[in-house]
Amino acid sequence: MKLVVKNLKKSFLKKEVLKDINFSFEKGKIYGLLGRNGAGKTTFFNCLNEDIEVDSGEFYIILNNTKRPIETEDIGYVLSTPNVPEFLTGREFLKFFIEINESRINNLKTIDEYFDFMKIAPDDRDKLLKDYSHGMKNKMQMLVNIIANPNILLLDEPLTSFDVVVAEEMKQMLKEIKKNHIIIFSTHIMELALDLCDEIVILNKGILEEVDKNNLDNKQFKEKIIASLKEE
Amino acid sequence: MLKTFIISFKLKNTYRVNSIIYSLKQFPIIKKILPDSLYKNKGLKIFANIISILVEIINIFIGKLLYILLMIVFVMSLYKTNQANTFIHIFTFLTFCGGLLNTYMLNPTKDKYYAIIIMNMDARKYGLANYYYKLIQVVIGFLPFTIIFGMMYHIPLWIKIALPFFVVSIKLIVMNYILNDFLKTKQATNENLPSKIVWSIVAICLLLAYLLPFVNIIINEVIFSFIFIISFILGIYSLVKIHNFSSYKQMYKQILTTKNVYATSNNTGTKAMKDMSLKQIELDKNYTSTKSGFAYFHDLFVKRHRKILTKAVKKQAIVIIFIFIAIIIGFKINADFKTSINNILLQYLPYFVFIMYCLNRSSSVTQAMFMNCDHSMLTYRIYKEPKVILGIFKERLKTLIIINLLPASLIGVGLAILLFLSGGTTNFLNYFVLVVSIIAMSIFFSVHYLVMYYLLQPYNVNTEIRSSTYKFVQALTYFVCYYMIQIKLPTISFGITMIIFCILYSLISLILVYKYAPKTFKLRI
Repeated sequence: MKLVVKNLKKSFLKKEVLKDINFSFEKGKIYGLLGRNGAGKTTFFNCLNEDIEVDSGEFYIILNNTKRPIETEDIGYVLSTPNVPEFLTGREFLKFFIEINESRINNLKTIDEYFDFMKIAPDDRDKLLKDYSHGMKNKMQMLVNIIANPNILLLDEPLTSFDVVVAEEMKQMLKEIKKNHIIIFSTHIMELALDLCDEIVILNKGILEEVDKNNLDNKQFKEKIIASLKEE
Repeated sequence: MLKTFIISFKLKNTYRVNSIIYSLKQFPIIKKILPDSLYKNKGLKIFANIISILVEIINIFIGKLLYILLMIVFVMSLYKTNQANTFIHIFTFLTFCGGLLNTYMLNPTKDKYYAIIIMNMDARKYGLANYYYKLIQVVIGFLPFTIIFGMMYHIPLWIKIALPFFVVSIKLIVMNYILNDFLKTKQATNENLPSKIVWSIVAICLLLAYLLPFVNIIINEVIFSFIFIISFILGIYSLVKIHNFSSYKQMYKQILTTKNVYATSNNTGTKAMKDMSLKQIELDKNYTSTKSGFAYFHDLFVKRHRKILTKAVKKQAIVIIFIFIAIIIGFKINADFKTSINNILLQYLPYFVFIMYCLNRSSSVTQAMFMNCDHSMLTYRIYKEPKVILGIFKERLKTLIIINLLPASLIGVGLAILLFLSGGTTNFLNYFVLVVSIIAMSIFFSVHYLVMYYLLQPYNVNTEIRSSTYKFVQALTYFVCYYMIQIKLPTISFGITMIIFCILYSLISLILVYKYAPKTFKLRI
């Protein structure tokens, strides 16, 4: 399965944020999306998630050599600030989410199994989400997006609010699930990108480019990435 | 101090000029004409500056004019007492209320916050300079209208001139008292969160202002002169104390917290408003739900928001019952009262549009729906599917209608009973129309707010309102309802028109929601 983006353009007023995005993302890989502040990473995600209309261009899925449009259930989008309905408990949120997604979830597990998978402690499961810490809310958000099992996962700076232990857990988790997904992961932390991602893509001046690692060692690769980010 | 004032005025002006340019940009056509670099465009700046200064000048006068018109002149016809004295009477007691509720200095506004907290300006100089400016505005703003209306009601010239100074004196006295209180308790008073004592005094003053003239007790020129002279002397004394007060900085540090400041800034506050909404969530382990899917989700929302939903309407219901009982007791005491109520019920049904508008909970409920629920849920793709949006919409509509129906049916039935007890009517249809039209109005408001919310979803992910159309519709709703107050129409014809209007409006808007909400109900970017 592939996610193909073709000639995607998006401007705000006269500012061209995405000039001409052409890229093909493949299943089984984690893509690290790097870009300077204001480069348009979130705009790119918002376009893919159909939160904003694109000016021109298209994106679609290619499965077994046939092209098909993206459906609601294809994309999971995890925002950098966690958004969870604060009036529900963790358990109630999962229950609701599972109920409205029932038809799409393969090998449904029990709610507690999901909590175990995400390492959410039993004491916390029946608390209101408004009393969850920032990191825990983030875990919940990640969890519901994974439960629905979307083909494409868009992660906007997802690990920055986790403590080191949880961040490590989440990294492992992402590596575990990547074989069935296309994961695009935006971050400002170079080490994280190098450590976790299979490919590094850079969004600069409205264009998306892959940075080839070739035979470079990590230090040289970093320098190359910074050089391409600095390119004016 | 003058320098501080000029700086602060410029600051406020810049802020307002930018807001004007920003709101210009909200209009679809103008947006295209305006250049991108519009915030540094000189011509535009000058234009916005002119508007800003016009707004400043209009603010000085319009507010005062509306105040005198709405609070005094419009109600004068209810009384048979001497007009000059009635005017002075109501003005005096309202001034006491205003003095307590509107101190200017203790209002946690954004411009104070920027100047004192963010830019670290001298709190005393800033506070005083702007306070004096406000007081001068009070005098200049009131004077033309106390003179004009004073001439209408034949009030002696010196009182016409004294009234604005009376307002200032009362404000100074209250301010001095509050500052003293701060020295003793070290607790600053936020004027937007008045204590129960303040509310009680305000309520008493309002009752004295509007009820005493009914029973022919009003203050006259002599009593006013006496009150005025005492207030004026105390006012000057207070002015000296206020001028020499030294702890403004500590006081403002307490008042100008982000929470207070954003709580008052036209509902666009982000975090503070979110905090307020979060406070409304109650977890009670006994409240769970046996439903499933959307119904489950919505059921829990309703149960966890009892404070603003069921509890609030129960309180309304109790107050409504008390008012009806009070009116029925009034019937026994005074026969004239009976005829006037009978007249109101048969002629002033439009007035109840405004009452139903005020009682309807839908506006604050949709806000809580966004803050505590949709704000987060709309970031999930699955929640944006037409099936889910419309499923939850249906549940919400049912709840809103049912909740608002409790006070509405009480009022409807109560009015019919009052009509009967106050002498009745020959046309039996009146009873029916009263009950049904009040219920129809209630359903109308429930539908209206929810449909507007779904069709115009105005908030972005930071909970800021990003739709000028939404603001416009809200304001329009208010003005139309307010305008109804002055309309006098036979209950039957107005009631039946209202019922038909409500049914048509509800039907059309529901069709629109089913057609467009899946597209419009999303977070603004």
